[in-house]
Parts: sequence; structure tokens; C-alpha cells
Amino acid sequence: MKCLVIIPAYNEEENIVRVIESLKEHCADCDYVIINDGSADNTAGLCRRMGFELIDLPVNLGLAGAFQTGLKYAYRRGYDYAIQFDADGQHRPEFIGPMLEKIQEGYDIVIGSRFVTKKKPHSLRMLGSNLISLATWMTTGRKVKDPTSGMRIFNKKMIAEFALNLNYGPEPDTISYLLKQGATIAEVQVEMDERIAGESYLNLSRSVMYMLRMLLSILFIQNFRKRREVKVR
Amino acid sequence: MTLIFRILLIVVSLFTTCYILKRIRQSKLQIEYAIFWILFSGVLIVFSVFPWLVSLFTRMIGMQLPVNFIFLLFIFVLMVKLFFMTIELSTLENKVKDLTQELALEEKERRDEQKDEAVSETAERE
Repeated sequence: MKCLVIIPAYNEEENIVRVIESLKEHCADCDYVIINDGSADNTAGLCRRMGFELIDLPVNLGLAGAFQTGLKYAYRRGYDYAIQFDADGQHRPEFIGPMLEKIQEGYDIVIGSRFVTKKKPHSLRMLGSNLISLATWMTTGRKVKDPTSGMRIFNKKMIAEFALNLNYGPEPDTISYLLKQGATIAEVQVEMDERIAGESYLNLSRSVMYMLRMLLSILFIQNFRKRREVKVR
Repeated sequence: MTLIFRILLIVVSLFTTCYILKRIRQSKLQIEYAIFWILFSGVLIVFSVFPWLVSLFTRMIGMQLPVNFIFLLFIFVLMVKLFFMTIELSTLENKVKDLTQELALEEKERRDEQKDEAVSETAERE
């Protein structure tokens, strides 16, 4: 079983070393690759100096483009599983093991969820998460408790599908679309830390735009998409 | 608004929506870019189905004809959209330039290295 941890990094020079060291410590049997998404800071230089596995994008592509680069790499190298993992230290590598066990039961995608056994706190951010859950439930009849979690594992079939198609960003609307198409998705309870250094990408106006995009996409657009299945080689 | 004008608006907005959805279906259009046009045609449909809304806004602003309000609104929205598209285009062009330069420079550097290696090898042999 070959498994690749994909870590998209944009301006994460304060976090990346700590994240990779703890990943190496907890998941020695997984390969990893950092996708430097055209950072303005010294993320790439730091990774090279430390001898980390690095794919260095010369221009900024955004999260979807950067993550897809990692999936294309996984697809070309014939990995069985690919893990989406944040470079800001929010995700904890000790939960990769349980998620890998879960996906080996035969699921297409396993989400590292904060709210399987624990209750959602009441905050503006969680209101957004609830709205997306509701929209997903309305269109697919399935409940995803933590749709905005950025910690997910994909199997070989999903790697190929994500790597080769348009409109397969690692976002809740893609999850909802795949659920509708009959993909099997499971959630595993994980814990996440608060971001330690650096700035979060989401501010108020970006969050509102994100919600608008997600809800319109899940409730309306995804119903019209045609699926292109990709043969796994 | 006349009935014909309303029907025209409804037909046009439905066509727009259908065409956008078709392109998404064929995986030719990114969802990010479709959002604006779907909202735009949605507003068009709402205005043509509920023309009293347009009349209300027209009176609020103090214009004479509802049609003028629709023209003004859409010209303004499209101008803003056009401006943002110009910004996007400029960013895109810049990225393509960076990318091309990066590729060419990498290739040149690789060849320089090969040349240096060849030179040092001949020097060793002599």
C-alpha cells in the first residue's frame, strides 16, 4: 500500500518545518510532498535547505490548483491513497492512521471530521458549516457532519478522477456532487488545533463569497453536471 | 413594461442559464466563473416575472420609464464586471509571462550546467 500526504503551502515559512517534522515522526510509512503554491515568502527555499520533498509551482494557482498538482503526482506514481493535509499546523498527523484504516474498508473518500462524536460549537463559522451540511443533505439525502474539514483521504479511483478533471476542487461542493453520483464517503473523528502562526485566508467578505459559491453550487449547479469516469491504470 | 418585453426577458434569461449549465455539464466552464452569470440571469428572470419590483425601484429613483432603470442597472453591473475581468486578464497575462520565462530559464540553466560539466571533463582528460 502506497500512500502520499499532499501538503499545499502558501506563505507558510513559520509553520512548514514543524508540520513536516511531526508528520515524519507520526507517519513514517507514508510518503509526503509539499506543493509550494508560488509563495512570496521563503517557503520553497526553507524546504530545499531542510531537504524536504517539494514541488515548487512558479506561479500561484490557488488551493484547488496546488492540490491537483499533488494528485497528478500521486496518479503518475501510482499511489493507492492520497491525503489532503494543511501546512498551517491545524491538522494532526496522529489521526492519519485511523483514517487510513477506515478507507481500507473500501470507501472512496474519508473525511477527518471534528464532529462525529463531538457537538458543533455555536459560532458564525459553524453556522456556515451547518448551512453547507443542510444543502448537501437536501440534494443527496446524506449527512456530512464536517463538510468544510480540509483533512481528507482519497482512494485510487478518486485520485484519477480529481487529477484529470475540471471542477474537482477539494471543496464541499465536489463532495456533495460525488455523493450524488454514488461515491462512498465516511467520516472519522479527529481533533484539530488552532493555527499557530501566520494569517488565515478567510476574512468576512471572502467567507460570504465562499458561502454564496458553495450554496449555489451545491443546491443548483451540481445537479446538471455530467460525470466523466476515469479508468484507473 | 409591455407583455412582449417581459416574455423576451424571460426567454433570454432562460436561454442564458441553459447555455451556462450546458457548458458546465461539458466541463468547459469553471463553477467560479459561472456563479456571476447564473445570478445575473436569475435577477433578469425575477424582474421579468415581477415587473412591479422594477416599477418600485424606478419610482424610488425618480425615473420616467422602468425600461430605463433596467438599462441603467445592467449597464452598470456589466461595466463593473468588465473592469474586474480586465484585472483578471492582466493577472493571467502576467502569470503566463512568468511561467514562460521560468520554463525557458530552467532549460537554459540546465544546458549551462551540462556545458560546464563537459568543459571540466575535457580539462580533466588533458
